Amino acid sequence: MSARSTAPELEPETGLAWRRMHPVTPVVRGWTVIAVLLFIVLQNSAENLGDLGEAADLARGVGLLWLLGGVAVVLLVVGLYCWVAWRFTRYAIGTDAVHLRKGIVFRQQKQARLDRLQAVDIVQPLLARAFSLAELKLEVAGGAGSGVAIGFLRRAEADALRAELLARAAGVDVAEGEEAPVAPERVLYEVPFGTTFGSVLRSFVTPVLLLLVVGVVVAVVVTSSAAPIFSLLPALFGFGGYVFQRLVSEANFVGAVSPDGIRSRSGLLETRSQTIPPGRVQAIRMRQPLLWRRKDWWRVDVTVAGYVLGTDTKEVSTLLLPVGPRATAFDALWLVLPDLGVEDPLALLATGLDGQGPDGGFTTSPRSARWLDPLTWRRNGYAVTGRCLVIRRGRLTRSLTLVPHERTQSLALQQGPWQRRLGLASVALHVTLGPVQASVHHLASREAARLLDEQDARARSARRAEGPEQWMRRVAPELVEQVEEEAQVDGTAPDGSAPDTVVPEDDAPRSVMPADVAPDVTATPDDAARSADEEFRA
Amino acid sequence: MTTEPSPFDLPGITWQRVSPRLVPARQIAVALTLVVPLLVGVVLAVLVHPAFWVLAGVVAVLWAWIAIVVVRQVRAIGYVEREDDLLIRKGVMFRNLVVVPYGRMQYVEETQGPLARIFGIKSLQLHTAAATTDASIDGLDPAEAARLRDRLASRGEARLAGL
Repeated sequence: MSARSTAPELEPETGLAWRRMHPVTPVVRGWTVIAVLLFIVLQNSAENLGDLGEAADLARGVGLLWLLGGVAVVLLVVGLYCWVAWRFTRYAIGTDAVHLRKGIVFRQQKQARLDRLQAVDIVQPLLARAFSLAELKLEVAGGAGSGVAIGFLRRAEADALRAELLARAAGVDVAEGEEAPVAPERVLYEVPFGTTFGSVLRSFVTPVLLLLVVGVVVAVVVTSSAAPIFSLLPALFGFGGYVFQRLVSEANFVGAVSPDGIRSRSGLLETRSQTIPPGRVQAIRMRQPLLWRRKDWWRVDVTVAGYVLGTDTKEVSTLLLPVGPRATAFDALWLVLPDLGVEDPLALLATGLDGQGPDGGFTTSPRSARWLDPLTWRRNGYAVTGRCLVIRRGRLTRSLTLVPHERTQSLALQQGPWQRRLGLASVALHVTLGPVQASVHHLASREAARLLDEQDARARSARRAEGPEQWMRRVAPELVEQVEEEAQVDGTAPDGSAPDTVVPEDDAPRSVMPADVAPDVTATPDDAARSADEEFRA
Repeated sequence: MTTEPSPFDLPGITWQRVSPRLVPARQIAVALTLVVPLLVGVVLAVLVHPAFWVLAGVVAVLWAWIAIVVVRQVRAIGYVEREDDLLIRKGVMFRNLVVVPYGRMQYVEETQGPLARIFGIKSLQLHTAAATTDASIDGLDPAEAARLRDRLASRGEARLAGL
């Protein structure tokens, strides 16, 4: 590959070409450690210098020498360690897996199966951005620590590698020494900074802070001294920290679609670019805190298998839209579920987002549920579409959860003693661990039993209808022709009938309106892994 | 109050029961946890102040109540192998019915603690990709546990599905 910086070492037994990371990697990864060490050395030396303060200039000069020597030694040791660690860290891309070797004393070789690929992230911490480096993170849903992080690489290299991995995971063969075409990307929505900022200010912490301020003002007036103002400082710092934290991870959010999946980019200092291949989303939730209602803003979260389980993944990786008006939230929803499987999806969603009571296709809690759930019993409810189960919840913070039928792992019917008295029961849909939990609370027992039974059948038939896991194979027949044309233009001739490239831009899902969505790559029924028995053994 | 039939009584299903040996196993487990506070209560009541009889009494009542509930709990455990999924039912106060499709099972875990070994029973736990799936069957006869485990494994293989 032309974009690769280091020459690969070919291992004859396995046929794998092992590559090293970018040489600057240790600096980017360990700069905090280096900084802390330097700080300690400097501080110690400064104290020593201070002790010698009354001595002559000569002694001062000797002290300075010691200081510089200490710094040099620390840098040398850390640098040596980093260099050795860098020497021992290598990665290779096989036909069906990514291999990573690391460790000096305890050697470790990790493999991530590409047909298990759940998501690919390109992460650029602030310092890495300065060097134009990026880290590639693969999530394969194999339990904690099963993800593979390849970093740091040059940004262009990381992009090329991502394209290659996604192409291989999709079932497209990429010959060694040949670039996988980078899938074209269509930006669907960008969240303006002002909106993100406003949304963070409209979170629950602001009223709490305002209450505190009012309390302090009252205290100041009553005691007629300025002392209580200082008690506000920690709260202000906390508030500032919270706002900053949210902004850092959620600002500059861009949602895009490409043939190899849903792309999202975000981050103020550290940027993250995530790709979720088609059909990897397990559940999706639209949510609206009370203070967003006047603006009609919504937040969209998704559950992707393997996220959250990993050690170093952050919550932002499950975000599809941090905040946006309803239309944008619908755009985000169409990204995942282009076809809800109902004639009038907008009407269904409107009922789901704002409605209450049993209108519009929703089955709701019976009146007896008001004893257990006085506030939300009118909103509690579910609707069934051809593709997914829609669960409506929440009165103050409204939420709507959609779980594709083929994504439910197991189902449960639950009933507590009070529910039994009132003739109620709850149904839980178990999906993989993530921010979205799907359960329908307080249905009439008969309705709950019916939902359990029917949902079981729906999930079963939806699973059977799933296509192969390598998602590009499903749509390959229609693509071969286009691919060959593309290849001739590019000058890279495809060998054989297998498609060697990804879909051209015209085939990117059009997802502004549900009726507008053609049966395209992301619109095909979700992927099918045939075997999953090796997973979650960690 | 309601006269509705329980949603847990599915029509046309005969539940498989677990071994009655689970009752003494659980009773001993309960006894092991409650005997210490009971003794502490009694000793304090004798040595320090008679008011501690209240503590001992509360523990004793709790023990008696749990002893009765355990019997009902064990009777309430049931499982059924259907064509495409396994149903597990449990609970008296808080009832729970789990439907686990065979194709969704990631692995089956068979465990046997020291008490279970004495009474000759085993537990089987089914794991799916969802951490919230709570599908375990306690108090299985070892032969039945082995049969069920192999059966589930082979059925799972035949109906494997992705995440």
